[in-house]
Order: sequence, then structure tokens, then C-alpha cells
Amino acid sequence: MIRLERVTKLYKTSTRPALDRVSVAVDKGEFVFLIGPSGSGKSTFLRLLLREDVPTRGTVHVADLNVAKLPRRRVPRLRQRIGCVFQDFRLLPNKTVSGNVAFALEVIGKSPATVGRIVPEVLELVGLAGKADRFPRELSGGEQQRVAIARAFANRPLVLLADEPTGNLDPDTSQDIMLLLERINRTGTTIVMATHDHSIVDSMRRRVVELDLGKVVRDESRGVYGVGR
Amino acid sequence: MRSGFVVREVLTGLRRNVTMTVAMVLTTAISLGLVGTGLLAVRTIDRTEELYSDRVEVQVALTADVSAADTDCSQPICTGLRATLTGSPLVESVRFESQQQAYVRYKELFAGQSLAEVVRPQSLPATLRVKLADPEAGAQAVRQAMTDQVGVRNVIDQRDVVAKLFDFLGGVRNVMFALALVQAVAALLLISNTVQVSAFTRRTEVGVMRLVGATRWYTQLPFLIEAVVTGMIGALIASVGLLVGKFLFIDQLLSGIVSNGVVPPIEVADVVWVSPILMMIGAGIAAVTGYGTLRFYVRL
Repeated sequence: MIRLERVTKLYKTSTRPALDRVSVAVDKGEFVFLIGPSGSGKSTFLRLLLREDVPTRGTVHVADLNVAKLPRRRVPRLRQRIGCVFQDFRLLPNKTVSGNVAFALEVIGKSPATVGRIVPEVLELVGLAGKADRFPRELSGGEQQRVAIARAFANRPLVLLADEPTGNLDPDTSQDIMLLLERINRTGTTIVMATHDHSIVDSMRRRVVELDLGKVVRDESRGVYGVGR
Repeated sequence: MRSGFVVREVLTGLRRNVTMTVAMVLTTAISLGLVGTGLLAVRTIDRTEELYSDRVEVQVALTADVSAADTDCSQPICTGLRATLTGSPLVESVRFESQQQAYVRYKELFAGQSLAEVVRPQSLPATLRVKLADPEAGAQAVRQAMTDQVGVRNVIDQRDVVAKLFDFLGGVRNVMFALALVQAVAALLLISNTVQVSAFTRRTEVGVMRLVGATRWYTQLPFLIEAVVTGMIGALIASVGLLVGKFLFIDQLLSGIVSNGVVPPIEVADVVWVSPILMMIGAGIAAVTGYGTLRFYVRL
């Protein structure tokens, strides 16, 4: 589903590569934690998958698309296959819960009928069926992240990228969010989650890819956050 | 492309930047109003030219002695001149106007004015009035053939008189276009600014759109349509302004010379003819500026 081959990413502002000959392959339906200290290259990793950036060297494949070689006009097609969740939720404050989810579907050209069918379904899935008409400011952090997940999942992406989705949440709420992501993973969606949260990684016992200074220093199939950390 | 979505986005955008939008509409309106005035001047010039090309003659005025002696162009000097003129292929027809006829016409023209009282038939020359088949080359040829001939006092090309009027109208047109150009620069910058502000206020939406894989058209079209709509509203206001201006000012200003048939009047139809042109200019400039701004200044 995702394949990086000897990917190097250099930024003009730094002499050290943000990613240094990174090769990682993720199969369909896998759940992968991407860990490592700040500046280790996690964000760059995710940006390359989304084609927010192109690698300096090496190739990136996502869902059979050669990401770096993709012409600009076909980038939307890539992004329609990838769902994204962020630490800061990135909801539209002037739209309701269902409005936020509907917006993501409308802008990729889904018909009003399709939008009307999918939105309640996906809100049901994330456990917000009763709060469809609330605005983001009326929701707790955990609920807002659920809306973000609903929006990311509404178009049934092949891959869900989560960049510290629990970074702003307390441990209990984080646990709920992880259960939700697990449920989405069970539908066959590949999940790559960048995180700093030890307890989550340790309790889930999923594949762990650890980056440090732009290099893959560990790739374990049922890993923990780190020995002695 | 879902039109419902785009319409909603455009309306939201226009409402959100209402002061900017109003400024942009007004600037565009003034700019296009000036362009419209210029176009009307051009049209009037064309019409006036048409009007005069039928009427304009070259007058060959005869000397006082010939004028007094010959009342029907039957004597050798006059018939000789007439034959020379009629022989030219550039001349359509030649008409003789005697002193007496000139006097009658003069009285009519200046009826009720003191000028009409002082003039005597003897003070007016008899003329050969030449209608030209080719106004450009003809006038030149007549002047060359007649100047310094025996019995010829002078040659008057009426176009020289009319040219002054054309110069004036042409000046009006040039001033209008120059002002319109300056205004257009202001309008252009405002459009560009409005699009940037609009894109900035909606950066979260646009960010989400990009993320979920909306195509360029979906992200940019609302901004473009917004610009085009304001441009067209500007053009509409400009057209209404021209119409109001026609009735309130231009009609009064020109009433004297229009009723004398010196210049043709500006009709409602003329303004109606100008409006769609203004619409196209307004929409076109807004679209091009909007597109350029999005392409070069806004990362969507």
C-alpha cells in the first residue's frame, strides 16, 4: 500500500537531510506507529506520502501511485485515497459537525444524495450521531478529533495518516480515539500514525517504525515505544 | 462540479469581505464608466463623420467682379472653371450659387441676428459648390486646380471647419480613455487584493479542500467567480450611470448643437450598445486578474 525506497529529503535550510535513505513498506490493512523525537523526520515522512513535498532522491508509492512523479493535476486523486487527522483537528469553526464532514465530500464532487447518505453513517461510526448539529466550539477535544476522523474516513480512504492525533487529549480520551482508529483499521484501512505517546504504543503492540535524525533505526512488527524510555 | 456548492461559496465570500467588495465594485464601475464615455465619444465621432461626409462640399468662391457680373454662370470665366471641375473623375457634381442665392441663404441662416442686417448681396461671393466623389483626394485636387485661377478668390474646404469638431470629440475620447486607464490600474490592484484577502480569510477551508483532494477548479473557482461577479456588477452600475448621465447632463449639454444637426444625439440605443462591451471588459479583466493572482500570489 505504501512503499518508500531509499528516500532522501533535503531542505535548503538545513545541511542534514530530514530523511536519509529511508526504505519502508507498509501492507494493506497494517497499523503502523511512526515514532521518534521531534525533528527525526516523522512529519516529512507524512508530507511526502501526501505529496505536500517531493523527495530529493528515491521513490514513494502510495496505493499504486508513484507519488513523486505524479503530475500536479493528479495530486487530488492521490489525496482522495488518503485520509488525514492532525493534532489540532483543523475543523471549520463556522460549520456544524455534519457540515464539516459534508464539506469534505462536497468539494470532491460527491452528489448531495451521496453526501446525505454518508454523513450520518460515518457520524454513527465515530459515535457522534447525536451531535450532528453542534459547532466545533461546543465539543470537547476528543469529540472534535472524532469529527476530524469522521471527515478523514468519510470518503473511505485506503490509507489514514494521523499526525499526533492524541497530542492534545488526556489519556482516557486518547484511549477512546485509539479504539476508534482500531475499528477503522479493522475495515481494511491502512493506518500510519506519528506519535510521542508511549503508553498508547506500548498497549497496542503494533508495528513500530522509529526514526532518528532522518534514519530508520528500528522497524518491529509488534513493538513498544522504546526500551528504557 | 456541483453548482450549488460553488454558488454557496461565492455568496459567503462576497458577504465576508463586504467592504472590499463594495470598494472593488465602485472602482470598477467608475473605470468602466469612463471607458463607456470614451466609447460613446468614438461612436459620436463615427456618426458625425457619416453625417458630414454626405454634406461636406468644397466651395470655390469667385472674385467680386465675376460674382457681380455673372448671375447664372453663363460667362466664359465661370463656365471654364465649371468645365474643369466637372471634367475631373473625383468630382461628383458642381452647383453654382449666385450672389443673390447666397444672400437669401445667409439671411435665413442668421435670421433675427444683426449680422443679417448689415450684409448686402454684393458683399457675398458667388460660389461653385463642388460635391466630391472622393472626399480625400478630391478636395486636394480641387484646391490645386482652382487656386490662383482667374476669377477664383479662394477655395474653402468645409472639412477644415468640421475637423475642429472632430478634434474636440477626439480629445474627449482620449481624456476619457486616459482616466479610464488610471482607474483600471486601481481596479486591477483592488481585484488582486480582494482575491488575496478572500483567499486568506478562507485559508482553513482551502487547506481542508486541498487535504481531502479537491481539484484546482473546486478550490479556485469560487474566488474567480467572486471576482467576475463583482466586475460585472461594476459594469452594470457603470451602464446605469451612463444612462443617467445621458439624461441628466449630456442631453442638456448637447441640446443646442444636436437640434441644429451639428452632431447626432446620443441615443439610449448607444448606451445599450456600450453596456455589453463594458460587461465583457469588466468580467474579462476580473477573471484574468483573479486567475493571475491565484496563480502567482496565493498558494492554494
